[in-house]
Amino acid sequence: MTEHVTGGSLYRKEPKIYPRQVSGRFTRLRVVAVWVLLGLFYLLPWLQIGDKQAVLFDLPARKFYLFGLTFWPQDFVYLALLLITAGLSLFFFTALAGRLWCGFACPQTVWTEVFIRLERLIEGDRQKRMKLDAAPWDAQKILRKSVKQAVWILFAAWTGFTFVGFFTPIHELGNHVLSLSMGPWETFWTIFYGFATYGNAGFLREQVCKYMCPYARFQSAMFDKDTLIISYDTERGEPRGGRRKNVDPSEAGLGDCINCTLCVQVCPTGIDIREGLQYECIACAACIDVCDQVMDKMEYPRGLIRYTTEHSLKHKQAHVIRPRIIVYGMLLLALVSGTVWSMTTRVPLRADLIRDRNALYRELPGDVVENVYTLKITNMDDAPHRYTMTVLNNDAVEVDLARPLELAAEEVAGVSVRLRIPKAAGQGVQTLDIELQASDDPSIRKVIEAKALMPMEIGKQP
Amino acid sequence: MADEKYDESAAIPGRWDQRKRDIGTILWIAFLAACAGTFVIFAVLDPEALNDAWVLPWEMGRRLAYSLGFLFLFMVSLVASALTVFMIRTGPPSGHARGRGKPPQPEIRSPEEENPDLDIGDLR
Repeated sequence: MTEHVTGGSLYRKEPKIYPRQVSGRFTRLRVVAVWVLLGLFYLLPWLQIGDKQAVLFDLPARKFYLFGLTFWPQDFVYLALLLITAGLSLFFFTALAGRLWCGFACPQTVWTEVFIRLERLIEGDRQKRMKLDAAPWDAQKILRKSVKQAVWILFAAWTGFTFVGFFTPIHELGNHVLSLSMGPWETFWTIFYGFATYGNAGFLREQVCKYMCPYARFQSAMFDKDTLIISYDTERGEPRGGRRKNVDPSEAGLGDCINCTLCVQVCPTGIDIREGLQYECIACAACIDVCDQVMDKMEYPRGLIRYTTEHSLKHKQAHVIRPRIIVYGMLLLALVSGTVWSMTTRVPLRADLIRDRNALYRELPGDVVENVYTLKITNMDDAPHRYTMTVLNNDAVEVDLARPLELAAEEVAGVSVRLRIPKAAGQGVQTLDIELQASDDPSIRKVIEAKALMPMEIGKQP
Repeated sequence: MADEKYDESAAIPGRWDQRKRDIGTILWIAFLAACAGTFVIFAVLDPEALNDAWVLPWEMGRRLAYSLGFLFLFMVSLVASALTVFMIRTGPPSGHARGRGKPPQPEIRSPEEENPDLDIGDLR
């Protein structure tokens, strides 16, 4: 018996995994996911709407542009909602279909897939890569390894550049790169993100999933016996063993597993799925694809390794709709529809009336009391507007603005406001409802409350 | 001399079990980190000066800002500490790198070796 830790065997060495290439339904699905997700990542920053970048997180200006919408720091609540939605979706899809995220959507998987493809392109398939690694450093090996490193570094650098392109207008950034005049922060973040991509997808790969990823550790808490898992059908497969094609397995006392070990060879995390569900399994379904092909060749039915549930493996009724699915689903639906509703009814105007801290009030001739405020007004729209300001619950109040409320697109202004209130309005603290409205677009309207202080007159009860 | 059999059920008074030690460590380390963070942040940053640029609609006194700042940092470090302990406790056992814990991998062989009729040539 050889120790499993050290090499010696041509086919396997514990520390390094050479995933064998595989094709099939789920592999095609992953290729589609890689193209869509990475396509979005690499192309989105180049998309322009009008003369603005469609997706731009302008941190210095504290504004996020998202397909024609502008988000301000005050819209922070949407970010929080987005994060909660993302978390809840992870719960929902994990309960329903297991580690879909890991196998098809996680950046770690997606970028590793690309790096492995590049590696395969340059160094050849599994056998060739293993031979190359075992071979002495001759000219051929040096050439292949350096070409691979160069391609990896180039791809990682492009990734870093694209990442920074979400925060700095990417056309500008491109010009800076071409003219070698990138700012220090642009340079730092490009290198940082590029390095992280290279390290994670080129070197760490499955180690991130096995040792570092918290999701891998607590996803089991979201699982139940009806969650889709990738599983080897022990009942059907065992006892495993090699055989000739014309042998009838039941006569030879064998199960359907021919022990070709291809499921182990294709596994990117290097586990043996036949050992049962393991936390290292990222549910990429490569073993399903390869096993199905072997079953086809042996003319056995497919699905010795398949997506199934613990219940159906035990020949029990499987339930798709179950309490946790309903609860997660309802919460998700409420959250998403609430967010969409609130975003569509969002008014691109923000106003706060802040009392002048230095004076309580001033009594003017003619039984009028003056309160002074600063109006902090933000035009969150991408067009200029002129606003009117009226007091809704008291027609007699006179509004005196220090200057007209004309704001350029995305302008923030502080305007001094004097409210002159007849004494008849009352004593002590009075609440005024103040309406701000764009004169060119009545739908841009906001009602804010202002507290006005009025003199207390002894002997007269309010 | 070897392992004297000890009684699992009878805890020695005054000794903490693992869970208690974990929770204590998480709280204390997170608290220290939050204190250090609060000192450094508010040594260079006056929350009063931020009032004009404040995203929140209300003005914040220094005392409130310091307290909220500390609580926020404490929360963040608590999450980090707790996750770290969780990851270590649920991870592979010590000795993992020297082969302890998981059963060894099956010996990987050429698929055709035991299955002479299996032609994997076109299994890319």
